[in-house]
Amino acid sequence: MSDTLTSKLNPLSLPLRQQLGLIALVLLAFTPFWMGFLYAGDQGLLHIRTITIALFIGMFAMSWDSVSGYTGQISFGHALFFAIGGYGSALLNLGWGVPPLAAVVLGTVLAAVAGLLIGVPALRLEGPYLSLVTLVAPLILLQVFIWRSDIFGGELGIPNPDPLVATSGFAQETYVFFYVAFALFVLILAVLLAVTRSDAGSVLTAIREDEDAVAASGLNPAKFKTFAFVLSASVGGLAGAVFVHTPMASPTPSQLLAQTVSIEVIIAAVLGGMGTIVGAALGGMFLSIFRSQLSNVDFVVPGLGVSVGDLDLVIFAVGTLIILFALPGGVLRWGIVAGRKLVGSDGAAADGGRTPVEQTLEKFREFFRGGRDD
Amino acid sequence: MALPLTDVVANAVMMSALYALVAIGFTLIFGVGGVLNLAHGATVTIGAFSAYYVSEVFGYSIWIGALAALLVPALFSAALYRGVIRRVEDDPITVMILTLVTAIAIEEIIKTAFGTQPAVISSLWTGQVAIAGGIQANNLLVFGLSWVIIGLLFFAINYTKTGKAILATSMSTKGASLVGIESDRMYLYTWVLAGAFAGLAGLFLGSIQTASWSMGRSPLVLSFSIVVLGGIGSIRGSVIGAYIIGFLETFTMSYVDSSLSGLASLVVLVLILLAKPEGLFGREFTE
Repeated sequence: MSDTLTSKLNPLSLPLRQQLGLIALVLLAFTPFWMGFLYAGDQGLLHIRTITIALFIGMFAMSWDSVSGYTGQISFGHALFFAIGGYGSALLNLGWGVPPLAAVVLGTVLAAVAGLLIGVPALRLEGPYLSLVTLVAPLILLQVFIWRSDIFGGELGIPNPDPLVATSGFAQETYVFFYVAFALFVLILAVLLAVTRSDAGSVLTAIREDEDAVAASGLNPAKFKTFAFVLSASVGGLAGAVFVHTPMASPTPSQLLAQTVSIEVIIAAVLGGMGTIVGAALGGMFLSIFRSQLSNVDFVVPGLGVSVGDLDLVIFAVGTLIILFALPGGVLRWGIVAGRKLVGSDGAAADGGRTPVEQTLEKFREFFRGGRDD
Repeated sequence: MALPLTDVVANAVMMSALYALVAIGFTLIFGVGGVLNLAHGATVTIGAFSAYYVSEVFGYSIWIGALAALLVPALFSAALYRGVIRRVEDDPITVMILTLVTAIAIEEIIKTAFGTQPAVISSLWTGQVAIAGGIQANNLLVFGLSWVIIGLLFFAINYTKTGKAILATSMSTKGASLVGIESDRMYLYTWVLAGAFAGLAGLFLGSIQTASWSMGRSPLVLSFSIVVLGGIGSIRGSVIGAYIIGFLETFTMSYVDSSLSGLASLVVLVLILLAKPEGLFGREFTE
């Protein structure tokens, strides 16, 4: 069991859970093939499109998780970064004719700058105050979009920019953009896993646990927090930018900037498991797929006259709360622990047994102790 | 675009009083219970639509509608605290997610029940009053009532036993319980007060402008700015903050661009948070 990079990347020497993850990823890669077997004709294509969108939501959730799940700095407005990436790229393409690929890169850079702008205040603000700033930032952006609707299209958004890849026909378009999304998903997953499992990732986790201890060991928490924000913002911006260059999305506030987008991402990451990246990705995909299936349900809640499809966010919120109480580590951690018990290799908890949600709550409690000394 | 200055000032003075009503409720809940109630805007909407339902759908007098606008949001607020928030009040993230989702759920329900068309609530007092070149009597009444209510709250908090108990709880839960104050009941009082204030503000907003399912959003966002500017937990700060933000908001909308609504105050909010997070009159949150 040497710790060299090659042995770490050799699938056969990986732990079981990672092998399972790889198998799932391979299965995901072959989606167009098995979808073709399961559903005939356009039905299968539509399902592939649903999964493509789900991949993007998964990327959004990973972006949130990489900063909020690791450093414990809860962002309530991550949609800001998706919107800056998406709108930036689309406007560059529509207004100046920048080719899509270059526009995506520039959009990502813009989002990274936004991450810096939010990350630097985050050094001064704590707990709820930071959350308030992140909550308000997308509102300001939306207000600017409505103010200058001649440029940003207000609440209706702007037309679709050129697609990233030129395609012909519905089927080809579906397959090509599925693989565009899948490639980006794997890239982001790999980058974020690499970062969070590196020494820098350990520092980020340490910041969540005890910022003073990090500072006391001679590391600058401010530097790492800013890094996490910029990384997260660029990942979110990249996903947003590519998203608008697919036929599945267009640069509209409801898809990129609305408050519900920011909340969905949080719900997804908490559901899947905060501070795991993989859990956030799974949560995001699950939420997106489940939601699109839910909107097909015509069942009307008796007494309210509201169809189930309209209440999807409420249903998820309740689900999230139950998970927060029952499985505070999220579904992924619970699955890993349960799996270990099943296999019989139940080791000690690697992180001292406290989940990121608990640690973050602890930080907030400490913050409030000044006002309420209970 | 050149509106007469007196009109703009009169409007700003009145709207600021309304914003103060909303912000006081928000700051009470945050200052005493340490809970950021993001459903506060939805409470405003509930107030407006309770009044609308009673007065326009059932056809009772608007004053009975006003009573509904006082009671229904207060009950809703109490139920929200007792049923949901009390169980999770030590977890600010859960509280924020939960109140935000409650707000969305209420907006959705009102949207489905009443539609997206703005609803008109009849004026509390019709006619014109010859002050400052003639203003709507309704606006004057709203302004006067808001100030009466704010004054009563000032008196209640500073001079009654319950009010002092609320103050004590906001300063130190442990100290308050040592002298026999039940903090849980004080929290409930603040939620009821905040709900009633928000409901009345909703009625006033609805009778001056119109009521719509998303009408609570901009008062909530303005409340953030007002409360942070005035200092979280400070009632005096909220009133002064409301006037600063209210004037800023009215002047930007009248003289710069009406679609800039909310933007200036949000910028102020971010600047204050960065420069002086404890606000003008806030007790500093010590660690």
